[in-house]
Amino acid sequence: MDASREALVEIDTGEDRLDVETVFQAHYERIARVIARVLRDPSRAEELAVDVFLKWSQNPGAQGENASAWLYRVAVRAGLDELRRESRRSRRESLVRFFRPSPTPEDMRAAQEDQDRVRTVLAVIQSREAELLILRSHGLSYEELAAALNLNPASIGTFLSRAEQTFRKEYIKRYGQQ
Amino acid sequence: MDSNRDEWVEERLAALGPDREWQADVSRGLSRLRERRRLKRNRTQRWGWVAAGAVAASVPLMAFPTTRAFAQRCVSACVGQSNWVHSLLTRNVSSAVPSSALVNGSERRMAPDFVLADASGKPVRLSELRGKVVLLNFWATWCAPCAAEIPWFIEFQKGYEHAGFATLGVSLDEDGWSAVKPYIDAHKIDYRVMLGKDDVAQAYGAHSLPTTFIIDRSGRIAATHVGICGKGEYEAEIRRVVDERE
Repeated sequence: MDASREALVEIDTGEDRLDVETVFQAHYERIARVIARVLRDPSRAEELAVDVFLKWSQNPGAQGENASAWLYRVAVRAGLDELRRESRRSRRESLVRFFRPSPTPEDMRAAQEDQDRVRTVLAVIQSREAELLILRSHGLSYEELAAALNLNPASIGTFLSRAEQTFRKEYIKRYGQQ
Repeated sequence: MDSNRDEWVEERLAALGPDREWQADVSRGLSRLRERRRLKRNRTQRWGWVAAGAVAASVPLMAFPTTRAFAQRCVSACVGQSNWVHSLLTRNVSSAVPSSALVNGSERRMAPDFVLADASGKPVRLSELRGKVVLLNFWATWCAPCAAEIPWFIEFQKGYEHAGFATLGVSLDEDGWSAVKPYIDAHKIDYRVMLGKDDVAQAYGAHSLPTTFIIDRSGRIAATHVGICGKGEYEAEIRRVVDERE
């Protein structure tokens, strides 16, 4: 991971086309993976990851700063936004189902999956805390988290444990102590 | 610090997908990226021509005082709408106007103090923010480059508030709050915005828009930017000034 970032420093931002594609090759897999952590559908995550690079290429301000940090920030937000849209949609659908016969066994099994519970909790807690938890679980170091989310590196530990407390409380509130 | 970490939460988060074996398809992604970029280029070029036509149509309207304000808005809206024209302009502006870098601590001058009312009518006195790093931005709703910077300022406010940082916007709109308030709502500006007065703009020498100052914790001007500058540049300066000890 570090080798690809070092290579980025060498990239000349003058040549736009070469630039975005080089950055794409260096980061796409990791960026798509961050989004895929959040979403249930990996192919949708790939689509959103392409959007992130498109935004990067159209945003001259983004190209001045640490590309990797910018990409992580935008990617995790894109993933969370999509997750929230999905959970709104499923709430609407469950409202419709209320007037219909009971849910299929498949639906019930899906709803019981722990991954879905984690996603539901991430969708309802504060964005900043959810972003921090997702990127941390993706394996970013404190320094990388600070750069990606514009936080003071000295306070990351505090922010993280606060975010974990929020997560735990919300999870227990919804699903009880496991 | 790590002793506070919650293993139960970490286990749950670690169980999130995708599978270890899963890998995004780089070549499919790359061709998708190329296709999206091609479509976007065609679209922006079309809009560029439409915007250029509208600008040309607005020029004769500038000749008459009654229609001048309307024409100016049309031009600024067209410029603001079209990324193509916009990036062309801002690229020129940023290379043409040398924005000053950070001034050394001992050479900084005091930022002139002022009291201006914010959107809720509450007075804001600059000197009351002593101890915080302040980004002071002179702007107006009709100024296209100002509009490009505003989302960055919102982001800075969010990202550095905890480190003792505040963004202040001073609008120099002649139409007053009737123009500024809807703009604040539409662009979801969550930092404090005041309506400027001529004497304040004069005191800061804010003759063209946008003009932005970064003021250190002792109330001295650490950096001045006339015209739009890069987001990275602002952010690097904010970080350095925030990290300075008084």
